[in-house]
Amino acid sequence: MIDLTLVLADIRWPIAILIAWFFGEIWHMWTRLPRICAYALAGFVLAPSQSGFLPQFQSATMLLLANIAFGLILFECGYRINLRWMRANPWMIATSLAEAIFTFAAVYYLIRWFALPVSTALLLAALSMATSPAALIRVVNEQNSSGQVTERVLHLSALNCVLAVFVYKIVVGLVVFRTSGSLWEASYSSLFDLAASVMLGVAFGFAIPGLLRYSKRTSQDSTLAFTVSVICVVALAHSLKLSPVLAALTFGLFARHRRIVMSSSQRGFGALGDLLSVLLFVFIAATLEWKQVLAGIGLGLGIIAVRQIAKIAGNLLFARIGGISWRKGFLTGLASTPFSAFVILVMEQTRYLGISLVDQFAPLAAVALTLEIFAPVLIQRALIWAHEVPESREYEHAP
Amino acid sequence: MPLEPFKTSQALSLGVELELQLVSLSDFDLAAASPDMLELLARKPFPGSVTPEVTESMIEIATGIHTGYETLLAQLIEMRDALVRAGDRLNLGICGGGTHPFQLWSERRIFKRPRFREVSMLYGYLTKQFTIFGQHVHVGCTSGDEALFLLHALNRYVPHFIALSASSPFVQGNDTLFESARLNSVFAFPLSGRAPFLLRWEDFEHQYFSKMEHTGVVRSMKDFYWDIRPKPEYGTIELRVCDTPLSVEHAAALACYFQSICKYLLEHNEPDPAEDDYLVYNYNRFQACRFGLDGTVVHPKSYEQIPLREDILTTLRRVQPQADFLRCDAALECIRQTVEKGSDAGYLRREYQERGSVEGMVDSALQFFRGGKPSCPVF
Repeated sequence: MIDLTLVLADIRWPIAILIAWFFGEIWHMWTRLPRICAYALAGFVLAPSQSGFLPQFQSATMLLLANIAFGLILFECGYRINLRWMRANPWMIATSLAEAIFTFAAVYYLIRWFALPVSTALLLAALSMATSPAALIRVVNEQNSSGQVTERVLHLSALNCVLAVFVYKIVVGLVVFRTSGSLWEASYSSLFDLAASVMLGVAFGFAIPGLLRYSKRTSQDSTLAFTVSVICVVALAHSLKLSPVLAALTFGLFARHRRIVMSSSQRGFGALGDLLSVLLFVFIAATLEWKQVLAGIGLGLGIIAVRQIAKIAGNLLFARIGGISWRKGFLTGLASTPFSAFVILVMEQTRYLGISLVDQFAPLAAVALTLEIFAPVLIQRALIWAHEVPESREYEHAP
Repeated sequence: MPLEPFKTSQALSLGVELELQLVSLSDFDLAAASPDMLELLARKPFPGSVTPEVTESMIEIATGIHTGYETLLAQLIEMRDALVRAGDRLNLGICGGGTHPFQLWSERRIFKRPRFREVSMLYGYLTKQFTIFGQHVHVGCTSGDEALFLLHALNRYVPHFIALSASSPFVQGNDTLFESARLNSVFAFPLSGRAPFLLRWEDFEHQYFSKMEHTGVVRSMKDFYWDIRPKPEYGTIELRVCDTPLSVEHAAALACYFQSICKYLLEHNEPDPAEDDYLVYNYNRFQACRFGLDGTVVHPKSYEQIPLREDILTTLRRVQPQADFLRCDAALECIRQTVEKGSDAGYLRREYQERGSVEGMVDSALQFFRGGKPSCPVF
């Protein structure tokens, strides 16, 4: 006799993904808004703390899968980064630093103004610097956009993710644990973690293209090789308690500079990438609780607002001197909104340390949910206003 | 709109237009970047003219009017350097080459301009397929009659320019086996090919152009995609068969080789052109596109089969006095080197072999454009 409740428990995730995918298609057909908004909505509704469809207990497998999904996206992001551009146009670095510092300061002072603890303020300020590449890459691929806003927001996202992970690790070491009180020791252990993560990415970045060259695989097949390798890198970084974000990003970066290139039909890792991104966005939203979101909505919206203003200001500051119009600088800032996948996954990875801001700090849940749903829309608008999506799509969006 | 009168130009004055590729340095694919590029370039005076082309991954530069190689090359180098500098700031690479080796035509975008949209509506996918990159050379003529004489007298030299400039071996990711695959995309247009055999401007205007206009098929000279076409508003003829070479040095050399041949023909050193010259025209053109310098052409008067390489070397010897007069010796030397060492298409194929990918090939083309061609002397 088949135990129906057991079967039902087993297939909850697959069913949730099916629902989210279908909802995404309907949503996109009706609203022309990015599909990932719909995945987030579906994930949030199906979450254990809302409708209770998804199981309460978060399995390690799902977390690993979400990390792999994010790892693939980070790899792709790294793969698109041209480091030589930073040398040719140092204003890119200036812009990156400006927007990151402004964001850090703005978020920090806002949270302090609400008289919340310094450690919370520092941690959240550090994480806020990052522009999550997950939503960015998905929307850029979905819209097929190309131009300065697209290029810049992708490059800045890679840079500020690295910066955010770095500062976050230092803050964790220095403020949260107060292990020694010495900035040097905290930075040292964080630096060690970061260096090890980078080394992991670099090692794969050299080894895999070498193997591909040795086996004389055509570029058609390299997608599979890279997918498998990203899975290894993420799993390894995960179990060694390193940063999968950095490892996957550097892997992409180095693989690219060894110049074996995926053909454009495999952008986003094809159907596998699509599948995992449904899972990723459902998973992220499913970690959030309605009560938390509601409780933190006030400060949450405040954080979103100051972060957005800081990012726009940072991008505007060096826009013209960096070679683009004020308008495109503004739109780059506007597109730098996404946040959720990055912050949730980084948090989940440090959960074992006892730091879980998502559970403890309600406004973060509000920020994560709001941005997971609205950031893709803002990116899409920014790209359309910058005239960087193909014209037929612009017409699709015309009112 | 009736055909405008043929403006008189200084005989043998020169101008060059180059259609260039805008490549993303992130993935080496074409980037729809001409609006960003033009916005940045507009901030400073540009040493020449720069305009958008039909799709947003193309940009066209044009020189002023020159009489000789030295100043022409100097301006081209100045324009190249300005473009490369601007590109560096935008993560964009600029390069020559008649085709981008792996771009997908379906991903191209039409530049927002009424004429481009109109063309795009009329020709459908042909317009996006037309993301190909050519060099146009203008030579000044003193009258419309002289222009038409020159245009037809040049018929047997058209394969020279196809073979010497050939730099489009790959299309949509695959080796076409052609040296210049670009011209195959031009053939698809209904008004491509050669101009009708008329030698007097008056006849051209009344017996051909006004009739064509009456049919409603054309509205201006712009609607013709001929290999060589008269340009009455400039007072020039325009050679349009060349692929954009990988370097501006090579582009300048081609222009001056063309100029020397024009002078040679204007001095009536050859029998006058005849309608029957065109019997072998398409065959010769194909030979040049497919085999480049290794092709064999049929002489339109004697029907003798001549290896193209040999024909060019002979021509170089014949036009030497004209080149001396025009002081473009160095340009001819550059052409001679190309004949000996092979075309840009051959170079691109070798790079593909060596680097193992079409992206590597684009990277080589980018470096080549930036660094220039060492075999061509620079002043």
